[in-house]
Amino acid sequence: MESAVEAINLTKYYDELLAVDHINFEVKTGEIFGFLGPNGAGKTTTIRMLTSLTKPSEGTARIFGHDIQTETIVAKRHVGIVPEISNIYDDLSAWDNLMFTGELYQVSKAQREKRAMELLEMFGLLDRKKEKAKGFSKGIKRRLTISMGLINNPQLLFLDEPTSGLDVQSAIIIKDVIRELNQKGVTIFLTTHNIEEANVTCDRVAIINKGKIAAIDPPERLKKTIQSVQSVEVAFDETPLKIMSELEKIPLVNEVRKEGDKFRLYTDDPTNVLSSLWEYAKAKNLKPTSLNTLGPSLEDVFVKLTEVNVKANRRNFDE
Amino acid sequence: MNRNRLSMVQLKTDLSASWTIAKKDMRIYYIKPGTLMFAILFPLFMFLSFAVGKNAPAAALIPGLISITILFSASSIGPMVIPTERRVKTFERLLSAPISFYSIILGKTLGGFLFSLAIAIGPLLIGLAWFGTQILSLLGLILGLALPAFCFATFGIMFASFPTENPGDIMLLLNFVRLPLIFISGLYIPIESLPDWGQAIAAFSPLTYANDLIRYALEAKTTYSPALDSIMLLLFTAVFLFIGRRLDKKFRK
Repeated sequence: MESAVEAINLTKYYDELLAVDHINFEVKTGEIFGFLGPNGAGKTTTIRMLTSLTKPSEGTARIFGHDIQTETIVAKRHVGIVPEISNIYDDLSAWDNLMFTGELYQVSKAQREKRAMELLEMFGLLDRKKEKAKGFSKGIKRRLTISMGLINNPQLLFLDEPTSGLDVQSAIIIKDVIRELNQKGVTIFLTTHNIEEANVTCDRVAIINKGKIAAIDPPERLKKTIQSVQSVEVAFDETPLKIMSELEKIPLVNEVRKEGDKFRLYTDDPTNVLSSLWEYAKAKNLKPTSLNTLGPSLEDVFVKLTEVNVKANRRNFDE
Repeated sequence: MNRNRLSMVQLKTDLSASWTIAKKDMRIYYIKPGTLMFAILFPLFMFLSFAVGKNAPAAALIPGLISITILFSASSIGPMVIPTERRVKTFERLLSAPISFYSIILGKTLGGFLFSLAIAIGPLLIGLAWFGTQILSLLGLILGLALPAFCFATFGIMFASFPTENPGDIMLLLNFVRLPLIFISGLYIPIESLPDWGQAIAAFSPLTYANDLIRYALEAKTTYSPALDSIMLLLFTAVFLFIGRRLDKKFRK
């Protein structure tokens, strides 16, 4: 099957700074491909090169076999782009924004009107059709931006942080639409900070760190690479002071993290930690309201692969 | 044959996209306060401040008023629109569309061109209605409005290539060049009356040729000839487009 995206030695320098370092990867037609990485890792630069907004310093990429540097316009015809910032025209109505984008992509009048109605309905925007975008909330603007990215019926959709900072309703609508589009055969290239979103949405995930691809695999396979990272998650009916330091003292616990009203105890041996935890609860007269043993999450994989960076940042901060 | 056909299809696509961009700019930006101030009020008051009190008959001032109006209105649209669109990231929407860079530039130029023509009709009608201005060469008038409007629109686009998101930055730079042009281009003092060095400097100003062409159309007077004026304006247009493209390539790595 033809690749939707092929990055070949893709590289970007900003003067002396190497932002993207000779990366190679492939996105298969029809898959949802997640592109994860910490801030400044090179995600946006990569997406900008793939969408021809930035010229690569070295290497190239192909979109459905078309080179982004020598067949730029043909490559762009296959693509819909939804940038991180909702770039809509505030002075135009939702309908006029869609009509303008359709016209720019040479979609015929009848086609773009039909498609615009479908999209407005799909994103729950029909009743806002004639309103100027100026008054829209962040979530509505985001939905309209995605609609505009889909007006030309693209085979490949680039989504940069599609649900970041959105209200629950908008986030749910957008996630549903992503799945629906993918079922219809649209390839999705998704960058996100929300690792859980990538875990439940993506067929495969690439983790980029310091401009290099650290790993590419399906989320479950990535988790298997760090089976040593297991944990016990517990919540008690009450939270005594100093509980964190006390939990850290339990034998075989490597690290404790507070996650909401729960505590996550990282260990290589969950069975023994469970019995020690039970004794600790009895001794302190605490009642566990929830208790689970967990395998590694995609976030654990992400942290492990980008850990050096985190530690270095902390060290710099401390200094 | 096939390649030629593909090129023709792409050209048609690009021209259609340029028109789409121009229409959108007209709808959104023509009535913005900044545009109206820089494109209409600014040239009008600039002109009045120098023309009022002069002994010249009012009809003789009309070509100068039209020239200055075209200069300011045509060259203001690009510098108002492009940095604003950079700031709200809608310029990237255009750059990511399957159209050539020149079709975007043509679209933005058309916006300034059409705006300028519409504005320049104002002083022309005032001259015709109240000050005895006459159209002595219709072709000269059409060229005298269209060529400078297109040339100054590309002049504005060239300045808008500087990578800023604030229209004020470009306007400042642009006025630094536009204002001296008014004084060296024969608008207030005829070229023939300037000293040799003044005439030499005037030859490097596109406004000189714009004003000369309009004077030819309305007064049948010309310093260089309508043909040379037209050629020079086309040449300046090509230079502005070329420099604009080079600047954009340099700044948009």
